[in-house]
Amino acid sequence: MTRETACNVSRRELLLGAGGVGATALSGCVENVQSESADDDRGQVVVKGSSTVYLISDQMREAFMSDRNVNVTVDATGTGGGFKNHFCPGTSDINGASRPITEEESNSCGSNDVDPIEFQVGRDALTVAVNNDADWIGDGMTFDELSQIWRADGANRWNEIRDDWPDEPIKLYGPAATSGTFDWFKNNVIGESYNHTSDHEPSEEDNKIIQGIQDNTYAMGYFGFAYYSDNSDRVQAVPVAADADSDYVEPSLDNAIEGAYPMTRPLFIYVNQESLSRDAVFDFTAFYLENASTELVSEVGYVPSSEELRDENLAKLLRERP
Amino acid sequence: MSADTSTTEAITSPPEQATRERLYRYALFACAAVSILVTLGIVLVLGYGAIDFFQQYDPVAFYTGTEWIINRDKLGVLPLLSGTVLVTVLSAMVALPIGLAAATYLSEYASERARSVLKPALEILAGIPTVVYGYFALVYVTPFLQALGLPLGTFNVLGASIMVGIMILPMVSSLSEDAMSSVPDSLRQAGYGMGATKFEVSTGVVIPAAVSGIFSSFILALSRAIGETMIVAVAMGQSPQLISVADPLSNVFESNLPMTSAMVQLVQAENAGGVIYQSMFAIGLTLFVVTFLMNLASNRIAAHYREEYE
Amino acid sequence: MAVDEGSWYGQDSGVSQVRGQLFEAICLLATSVGIVSVLILLLYVTLDAFEPLTADPGWHLVFLLTLVLPATLLAIYYYRSSDPAGEVAYVTTGLPIVGLLLSGGVLVVFAELLAIKEWFALALSLGAVGVVWYAHKRGRPSAVLERFGILILGTAVSVFGLPPTALARVAGLPKRIVSLRELVLELPYLPLSSLQVVATLTLPVAALAGLFVARRRASRRDGVVAAALIVTGALFGPVIDAVVGINGEVWVVLVTMTAVPVAVYIEGVVRRKEGVAGLAFPLVLVGGVAVGTVLVNALGFAGPDVWLDWSYLTSAPSTTPEEAGIYPALVGSVMLLLVIVAMTFPVGVGAAIYLEEYAPSNGLVGKFVTLIEINIANLAGVPSVVYGLLGLALFINFVHLPSGSVIVGGLTVGLLILPIIIISAQEALEAVPDSMRQASYGMGATRWQTTRNVVLPEALPGIMTGTILGLGRAIGETAPLLLVGIAASVGLAPAGFLDLTGAMPRQIFTWAFEPKPEFRYGVLAAGVVTLLAVLLVMNATAIVIRNKYQRE
Repeated sequence: MTRETACNVSRRELLLGAGGVGATALSGCVENVQSESADDDRGQVVVKGSSTVYLISDQMREAFMSDRNVNVTVDATGTGGGFKNHFCPGTSDINGASRPITEEESNSCGSNDVDPIEFQVGRDALTVAVNNDADWIGDGMTFDELSQIWRADGANRWNEIRDDWPDEPIKLYGPAATSGTFDWFKNNVIGESYNHTSDHEPSEEDNKIIQGIQDNTYAMGYFGFAYYSDNSDRVQAVPVAADADSDYVEPSLDNAIEGAYPMTRPLFIYVNQESLSRDAVFDFTAFYLENASTELVSEVGYVPSSEELRDENLAKLLRERP
Repeated sequence: MSADTSTTEAITSPPEQATRERLYRYALFACAAVSILVTLGIVLVLGYGAIDFFQQYDPVAFYTGTEWIINRDKLGVLPLLSGTVLVTVLSAMVALPIGLAAATYLSEYASERARSVLKPALEILAGIPTVVYGYFALVYVTPFLQALGLPLGTFNVLGASIMVGIMILPMVSSLSEDAMSSVPDSLRQAGYGMGATKFEVSTGVVIPAAVSGIFSSFILALSRAIGETMIVAVAMGQSPQLISVADPLSNVFESNLPMTSAMVQLVQAENAGGVIYQSMFAIGLTLFVVTFLMNLASNRIAAHYREEYE
Repeated sequence: MAVDEGSWYGQDSGVSQVRGQLFEAICLLATSVGIVSVLILLLYVTLDAFEPLTADPGWHLVFLLTLVLPATLLAIYYYRSSDPAGEVAYVTTGLPIVGLLLSGGVLVVFAELLAIKEWFALALSLGAVGVVWYAHKRGRPSAVLERFGILILGTAVSVFGLPPTALARVAGLPKRIVSLRELVLELPYLPLSSLQVVATLTLPVAALAGLFVARRRASRRDGVVAAALIVTGALFGPVIDAVVGINGEVWVVLVTMTAVPVAVYIEGVVRRKEGVAGLAFPLVLVGGVAVGTVLVNALGFAGPDVWLDWSYLTSAPSTTPEEAGIYPALVGSVMLLLVIVAMTFPVGVGAAIYLEEYAPSNGLVGKFVTLIEINIANLAGVPSVVYGLLGLALFINFVHLPSGSVIVGGLTVGLLILPIIIISAQEALEAVPDSMRQASYGMGATRWQTTRNVVLPEALPGIMTGTILGLGRAIGETAPLLLVGIAASVGLAPAGFLDLTGAMPRQIFTWAFEPKPEFRYGVLAAGVVTLLAVLLVMNATAIVIRNKYQRE
């Protein structure tokens, strides 16, 4: 099929025509470069870190975003992983931590010009639990008895701790060796001179520990209070006493806030000081610290910060803002 | 005859045409070469990471260590390896016989109508995301098996392996069926002509003739099972255990940690800094080498034992 | 000839049928065991997502009578009778669903990515370039390279300006020439947003539909009438907008993306007069739902307490199970898919074309090509975590793209499915009979001309089927996303390709480990069903395309 070409324009004609059109266009379409408005990106905050603090951060995120158009993302990468792979390289703004930052991590951040600012946002009450049918527990257990069970080469049967307990092997469930709960339990309950037993069924996810305890009458485990408060009908919490002279205290929020419950570990967030110069990050951090003493934290099952701590944190935030 | 300007152009401007042709050839070659770049990239990334790791941790201890405890810097890969082996063996026990039987049915016995229903159905099986399979294993299969009376933990090897088996089943069945369909009909007819029954022809003539393709499909499916990540991450828990000869059922009923799941654990682990995180590259390198070798083996076996028909 | 004492095969007994039948039964059982068990699991998930057992028995009864019974009877009737009716039935049911999904996609793009006037400005500026290109083609038809240069330069100037703002800032220039797009955006008066959509979306679609109808009916006038009808139908949107004040864009998009394909298809069915009975099926479905809803409301039966409802699909994830939603993850997944398609389709199909059409099979390059093919087959079997590691090291640590953004996730998963796309495209190209290529070469065509005009159109349905199936695999991949930093909890859908995003399988993985049990049984089931529904639509499209072109 032949296509009838109406005209055949030569290159010179084309260039002249284009030049003419271009000149007319140019005259009217010039603008100043700087007249463009600043980037109107809606602000974002990147929160990574401990899976324990993740639950609090997620609550804060939801409450904060309910009336603001800021994109806050929260991820559970683990405390150490969060520092190494996201916070110290500078790609995340806030790192949730279930333990204080180590010196090594601090140095590594410093070498990247990242200045971590520490805020304590609450506490996690650890809960020791047994099966609902384990009615021999009585009033509770002491730290020493727990240490006997949970240390390496420790007691294997219930009656090795107290004679009136059943002659059955103890099935242990607990967090994986990678978790902060594990570390705290080892250092503070078992004792630093002992090792944690490796004969337990470890799991990163606390609801799996609960399921394990639920399935076995002679099981015992420990995990964060958050998971207990959501599943309190599935397992039985054991009141604990720090030593033989103290009373057995039940794990509950009130006991923990009062300070009566001995098994609590502090939870932190670390904020990159440079990120605080961005409004979105500053607003979110302020919101977080302010609400760390409210039921936003207790709803998740953690112990909220006290009012004094909240005020201290807010003052620190204002001081550290660049 | 009026001159066709379009065809005249095509014939009378060869130099421009030739340049364009060459340009297209180079552009398309570049596209094909991307795959080489990808492999190089994988090898480099895993290699650097693994070398970095092995400079800080003794490779012999890594490959012969029997304990995988991150907090105490005990990084022995043998428990992970045993987890992977358990999953692979169990899923093979599920997928290989069933897949082969399904392939036999589809290629030898099924009517056109049945094939038009069954083949797409198997393809759908292959299309379900693995995280969904993991969810199924955790929430439906394990309670079902527990209701049957098996003493399973919440996270166990059995449930996860069954789902891995079902996931690789379509691979076995479709590749084996392709192999069996490509056996020429003359062989079957010869068998019938000798008085053999359909069963004898299928099992005695067709399957042996297609054995190279069937075997290569087995190996490919196994390599997929080795590399499967999400099903085991969701449904198998995270407690690495060596294979216990004393209590064989405990291997199946308890939780374990295969290599792929260990890598996922490292990404989310509380105390993974430094050496521990780098171990991910060493594990990844091991996985990559194993699956690569298996795929190569599968190709060679298929090529070596393939019967050439005219 | 004496038959002597030597035994012969089968002499002693009749040939046993039982063994063969048992074997066949076992094989059939094996084939179905996988399928049936997965079907049962899917049923469980759907039950958990929709919780139909919490509804009143009366509710069930009403919908059984108004919806299920008539639909089943009709389906049986189609099965018994001629085939075309059944096919028409499921296409007319499926087309509106796909159309609605596409309309939903376009509306989401307008809501999240591009405001309507930005789209309008972009379309106008691209249109201007198109006009210039066409004029050049008419005026200087043989200057191909020049035209290509004008196309690239024109697009850059028209869309970004001369030079783009970022470059100008870096270079320190005080003034720059604005692009046509920015000019349009700064106009003091723009037409109604729904009119803008009509101009930029409906007109091209109407033109295409008109051409299609004109060719099918072999009448130019019919084509023009069809296009005019479509535009008139869409114009109701701006009218509603002007009169009532509600946004008319929804109407315009619905008409353009849903009503047009359905109408074109129905026109074809009615004209050919085959399978017209199939058109009754969607009517029965819609009618049944409508009548059922009216009756249920009148009689006061409570519906089921579903987890997967409209608010689930449009809300953000939440720490309260009842309010949790999957919207950001859904949009994130779709945007990831866009990146994946843009990246893998050209490269994958290009590689397949090279390997099938251009690659020499001997010599040094030939050996290299064999190496490439082996390499691709092996890459297809590499575990997905390894691709995640590659994405982490390459895109995040080396190129420093933002961790957890759309583009990083898309590129990483794209690398994962690239071998799959290449292999399936290669198979589609291989299936094109060699005689067609030879005929084209015989006519004097060059290799590229043959490939572009003969081989590709023939292989295109197969290539598309393979691509869609590969995308189905991509949408469900979780492990690479985990390693690349896609966050566990994302509240806003991404607004651009460098934005942080969530993804559906990642969201499912997060929910599986939430403490509250309702997450694991209700919300998670709803998420799984959503993901499976998207997959089902994609796979069904692929299968329909394959079946349709296999028969032609």
